[in-house]
Amino acid sequence: MFEIGLTHYLVVATLLFVMGIFVMITKRNAIGILIGVEMVLNGANINLVAFNRYNGMSNIDGQITSLFVIVLAAAEAALAVAICMNFYKNLNTVDVDHGDTLAG
Amino acid sequence: MTELIAEIPAWFPKAAEFMTFSPELAWVGTLCLIMLAPLAIGRDARMIAGLAVVGIAVTAFFTLKVMGIISTEGPKTGLTPDLAGGMLIADNLSLFFKMLLLVFLVGISILWMSVSAAQEDDAPEFFVLLIGSALGMSLMVSTHNILMMVIAIEFASLPSYAIVGFNKHKRISAEASLKYMIFGAVSAAVMLYGASLIYGFFGTLDVTQIAANVGPVLAGGGANQLLVGLAMFCVFVGIAFKISAVPFHFWCPDAFQGAKTEVTAWLSVASKAAGLLLLMRLVNVFCVNAGAEVLHGVAVVIAVIATLTCTLGNLAAYKQTSIKRMLAYSSIAHAGYMMAAAAILVDAGTVESFTAISTVLAYVVVYMLMNLGAFGVVALVESKNGDDDSITAFAGLGWTSPALAIPMLFCLVSLVGIPPFAGFITKWYLLAALGEAASGLYWALAIVIVINTLISLWYYMRVVVQMFLKESDKPAIEVPMSGTLLVNACGILLIVILVFSNPLKERADRYSAGLFSPVPTKLADQGSADSLAQSIPLDNIAAPQEGKHGG
Repeated sequence: MFEIGLTHYLVVATLLFVMGIFVMITKRNAIGILIGVEMVLNGANINLVAFNRYNGMSNIDGQITSLFVIVLAAAEAALAVAICMNFYKNLNTVDVDHGDTLAG
Repeated sequence: MTELIAEIPAWFPKAAEFMTFSPELAWVGTLCLIMLAPLAIGRDARMIAGLAVVGIAVTAFFTLKVMGIISTEGPKTGLTPDLAGGMLIADNLSLFFKMLLLVFLVGISILWMSVSAAQEDDAPEFFVLLIGSALGMSLMVSTHNILMMVIAIEFASLPSYAIVGFNKHKRISAEASLKYMIFGAVSAAVMLYGASLIYGFFGTLDVTQIAANVGPVLAGGGANQLLVGLAMFCVFVGIAFKISAVPFHFWCPDAFQGAKTEVTAWLSVASKAAGLLLLMRLVNVFCVNAGAEVLHGVAVVIAVIATLTCTLGNLAAYKQTSIKRMLAYSSIAHAGYMMAAAAILVDAGTVESFTAISTVLAYVVVYMLMNLGAFGVVALVESKNGDDDSITAFAGLGWTSPALAIPMLFCLVSLVGIPPFAGFITKWYLLAALGEAASGLYWALAIVIVINTLISLWYYMRVVVQMFLKESDKPAIEVPMSGTLLVNACGILLIVILVFSNPLKERADRYSAGLFSPVPTKLADQGSADSLAQSIPLDNIAAPQEGKHGG
């Protein structure tokens, strides 16, 4: 049996980050892009908590920061979905490629 | 009752500390008041705008009090709550920026009253979003902790996304806010991931501590060097998004064109100035504390991005047909000019003078007047032209409505940076600061800025040609008195500031001096990350730096 250490958490966080960036780049659906954003944010959360736990820190800055990140992500998601709704009402789609009126 | 008081914990801010943050408290109070006001006084646009201006005035009163301008207790610059470290700072720079934002808010409110108030049903929501984003921007300039910085950037961004899409039934408005929001969300996510890596390396998010320890960590080897560099660049992406520095500028023209023009005026100055001053503050603490070996890289990165930003902004502005889009690219170019000053800071960090910050402060003040005037005229003309924002809509304006065309001319010429307008003097300060730094990099930057000024002349003059050399059979446009007064005041102030440039320079110098920067702990001196983390909050809240005080 092997013990779960910092590296394992960092690998998961990095995977989340890479997958999130990949989703942001390839998805054309606005909601899909937002899911990518959430994955990156959760990768950051895992990093923060893991560093705090395994780097032998006496304070809990990392955990507190990750709580802030969760709240920020929630606020952003609420507003983002409202903006997507508004986009849908005007264009009948949430495909970002259809937002091509403004260009140049 | 006495028991309650006895139980107040040690970390709870004292009354004096609360006073230092009375502007923020008044600001939040104003927000709550405007949100609740419709229950009491209805949704009348004029009443709500009046209430907002009163709230802004109260906030300004407290800001001046903290600045020591109207208080008998003397100035309170450089204060920070005992346990907050660099979390929240009330020093010369942040207080000055707060005042600037408040003045600008009043200008935007006047413009809104004369352009949009008549057909607006959602006045309370508009002002809550506007003033809310202003609070976020003021917090951006009051911190050098990365966590607080992220929160402040989000605080400024979220209302901005909503306010850009405020015309719910307009297709371009919906599109603009979606694009702005997606770019913002992605850059915020990247910034937070970078912050989490930085936390892993340094065990803190305080930039002072990070800067002090960056040398030893970088000496650790290739992989560390790459990762720390990458993490810092990720954090920089978040700030660059607010400044709309190339290559993170794609949201800017779209959001500016789709938003109402008064919102465009607001974002083009306030959000960029906040981002720039945040960058200046971070670069400043970083340079004071980090070793010389790290600094050269920082200066080169900033210089390259500043060059790209002003050049691309000016080149792209050239072919625009929409005046809002053209001014959006012009604002990108101006952000590039101001960013060049951040590159000087890197070397000046060891020098006592804060020429670079002073240059940017003077530039921001004048830039605010120029953009408020220019966008004000655009908003007034557009509102009478059925939302037509093409440059050709200005044809013949010089002959039909000189009261609008002349301030527009002043603002555009000032944006180019030609005398006799204030845009010239601030650009001169910038070039002088670059020249004083006296090294190849800064000379190159100065040359880039001069060449860009020449390029920018042509596209600004296209509007002037339309206004004064084209014939138009359109009747004179009738605009509200308050709007005309506002844009003319901006135009006249631009001349006044050039003639009396000394007070501007003096104030910029005074408010850029005495930045709060605590003495950090070196990782190497401490032995382990553990003791570093413990020692941060308690020992190192150095005595506030003595700055010259406002008066």
